[in-house]
Amino acid sequence: MSLPRVSFTDGRLANGLRVIVAEDHLAPVVAVNIWYDVGSKHEQPGKTGFAHLFEHVMFQGSANVAKAEHIALVQAAGGTMNGTTWFDRTNYFENLPSHQLELALWLEADRMGTLLDALSQENLDNQRAVVKNEKRSSYDNRPYGSWDEHLRATLFPPEHPYHHPTIGSMEDLDAASLEDVSAFFRAYYAPNNAVLSVVGDCDDAQVRAWAERYFGRIPANPAIPPLGDLSLPSVIGAERRETIFDRVPLPRIYVGFRAPMLGDRRLDALEVASQILAGGKGSRLYRRLVREERLAQDVALFTLGLIGGASITAGWATARPGIDIERVETAFHEELERLADEPVSDDELARARALIETDELGALQRVEERADRLSMYATLLDDPDLINRMLERYLDVTAEDIQAVCAAVFRPDNRTVLTYLPAEMGAQAAEDVA
Amino acid sequence: MSQAPSIVVTERPVPGTPRPYDFPPFERQRLSNGLGLILVDLPGRPLVSASLVLRNGAADEPAEEAGATVLSARALAEGTERHDAIELIEAAERLGASLHAEAGWDAYTVGVDVPAERLEPALGLLAEMVEQPTFPGAEVERIRDERLADLLQAKADPRRRADEAYADTIFTADSPYHRPAGGTQETVEGLDRERLVAAWRRGGDPERMTLVVGGDLAGLDVTAMAGALMGGWTRAREARVAGPITAASGVTERFVRVVHRPGSVQTEMRIGHLGLPRRNPDYHAVSVMGAILGGLFNSRLNMKLREERGFTYGASAGFDLRRAAGPFSARAAVHSEATVPAVLDTLAELERIRDGLVTEAELRAARDYLVGVFPLRFETPGPIVGALGGLFVHDLPDDELARYRPAIEDVSAADVHAVARAHVHPDRAAVVLVGDADGFLADLEAAGIGPVSVDREPVPEAGGGAGHEGAGG
Repeated sequence: MSLPRVSFTDGRLANGLRVIVAEDHLAPVVAVNIWYDVGSKHEQPGKTGFAHLFEHVMFQGSANVAKAEHIALVQAAGGTMNGTTWFDRTNYFENLPSHQLELALWLEADRMGTLLDALSQENLDNQRAVVKNEKRSSYDNRPYGSWDEHLRATLFPPEHPYHHPTIGSMEDLDAASLEDVSAFFRAYYAPNNAVLSVVGDCDDAQVRAWAERYFGRIPANPAIPPLGDLSLPSVIGAERRETIFDRVPLPRIYVGFRAPMLGDRRLDALEVASQILAGGKGSRLYRRLVREERLAQDVALFTLGLIGGASITAGWATARPGIDIERVETAFHEELERLADEPVSDDELARARALIETDELGALQRVEERADRLSMYATLLDDPDLINRMLERYLDVTAEDIQAVCAAVFRPDNRTVLTYLPAEMGAQAAEDVA
Repeated sequence: MSQAPSIVVTERPVPGTPRPYDFPPFERQRLSNGLGLILVDLPGRPLVSASLVLRNGAADEPAEEAGATVLSARALAEGTERHDAIELIEAAERLGASLHAEAGWDAYTVGVDVPAERLEPALGLLAEMVEQPTFPGAEVERIRDERLADLLQAKADPRRRADEAYADTIFTADSPYHRPAGGTQETVEGLDRERLVAAWRRGGDPERMTLVVGGDLAGLDVTAMAGALMGGWTRAREARVAGPITAASGVTERFVRVVHRPGSVQTEMRIGHLGLPRRNPDYHAVSVMGAILGGLFNSRLNMKLREERGFTYGASAGFDLRRAAGPFSARAAVHSEATVPAVLDTLAELERIRDGLVTEAELRAARDYLVGVFPLRFETPGPIVGALGGLFVHDLPDDELARYRPAIEDVSAADVHAVARAHVHPDRAAVVLVGDADGFLADLEAAGIGPVSVDREPVPEAGGGAGHEGAGG
């Protein structure tokens, strides 16, 4: 089996905006996707959560678009849209019936060029309140919801920007001012700091003409603030452990590791290892912890590919009622280390490859995903053609590659372990001490 | 008039000419044993989606066995007469196939997504799973225990807690929708291998099953594959058609039920009442009304609660359309101090949609969204196969999907008003709140919304009857 090749063209406007176009006329739909090379890693201490708060402000109007009108126009055109903020970047996207493509280009250009024309204290305050409720919904009022914050804080040193959560802190969100918004926009939201990808039922020459028409006069920023040196040792150096008492009925461990950066072939091998360890019901962790020894209620392991010094590999396992969390943790580590100690069999590797193939085929059949990956590989690795080579890279991973990367990553001195325990166990422990 | 030329284009572009679009044509067949077959050829889509749908859902099971259908689907892949669970999983993985089974209120589905060239062996595994499941007792016990632990987790999660309290509040105890589809602690504790087998065999009738296959089917004789693999199936002795589903509500006047969750920084809010079944003559008008009230990002509720007030990350409202009438609800998670104003704002929006005609702009935006987003929803085989399975489950006509867009276009402001008056009833809505009652109880009682009751159940431990205090409800 081979994946359908994504043919695309890649060029820049005079102001530096990188424009990638991939025609595909199968369905009458088109995806527009912009990545800005700015994420939570660009935030300074005291201003955490700002990149994400700013993303919300991007939907509050610009010179020719009223508050909330961006979304209204896209939905009334039969489209879907959103924006997301992450460690390394912020992205914005619209998926539309193909005859509405020009609308999305116009909307994205209007806010890239003129966001500050519509900025107001009232809109900033409103979105600050919305984001604080997003933080409450997604983290603070959710069982185990603080794991992301604790994991980042233990994987990365305080002076590194991956140390703090992308959602930020309530105090920093409260402190964000209109001046901060203006400065952030002027610094990072420029055509030469962005990649625009258009994928689907469109005409390449027409898209390029429209890109020129709508974005061509937006000035470049010749002085985009450089990012400091984010390099990190490849391992943490010593195991980090935290115990967190939370309002949860079942104990759970989260385990995290620093991993090779996105684009590094060792990360490809680690992705295949994650598939073998936790990719479905045939995987090692599921089979042993859930099915055979019945220690855990659920297991997971995943890799977040990043470019700012290290990636993250992390997972979790929830103890079944009555099972000591220590037994769960021991079995979890043993399975990861076993992959470093013994090569996987040909059959196990072949099964992992077949599942990865199907996953890639499934993901890439949607224009939205193709546009996002083209923007991602262009922004982070300056190599959009990786969209056509990643599957081959995964399939090239050998048993030796897996063993080597697991030995380098899954070691106690590169590990952070968060243990969540029911709050009443904390109360009991305090009583026992007293 | 002299102005510096703008760095952007001030005029909005006008849309181009829409490319014609039709829901993909599909073909219905029937094997000699009565099993239905729906094939949809989607050239250029090499990942094929296949789904065997059985009209046998959690709503069809006896109350005392609640959860048996959902758990039997989870246990279906635990082995066949030819392969144990691990052999079955590994065989599917070698094909790059994800083989899955799940049951919900309305139906039971057994599905696989697989590259087209491996469809035949993948369908072979699917057929084997359906024809010869063994439901090993030890695995059934594990799956039952996992569900019991999941029920503990649900109690600690304010979202799930709110959904369950809401269903429990609006449906009468003899309605299956009163309980979670996966069963309650009491019913799940009583489940065993025999009950799961019984839940499975209840649907074991080829005449009440349809296989839907979608993707690039060039060169594949799916009819022959299905005939060879499934054409010999016969009706299980225990198969039976369940009676009509009871979906009723005892709520006759508005009241508030608070589930106290000390320390919550937000309140999970559910407001509404018994809704509608999927098969209802107002379906298209209700879809447009729901979009305007609480479906679109710029819906009345989201604009009020999020974009104007900043109370929430998102507010929505809608009908959960099932074979019988599911719930209608308006929902949001709001920060605790905003609880009472958020409830009042929501009730006011439920009144307002009944009080007058929606504007022409609201109507157009909702219709254009629903019509325009249709090709995006059905870009790939999975959702197309899912929608065709839905036709079978709800016994809808073949042209239901083809006529969706013109029917939406035909909805008028008067139609929206009529269905709002017929199907939205804030005067007899249940208001269910999961949050820290101590922070807002006094304001809530003073607000005159209706009688207020508070459940002060210990959190997060399971079991123990809810301590009830307060008046009425």
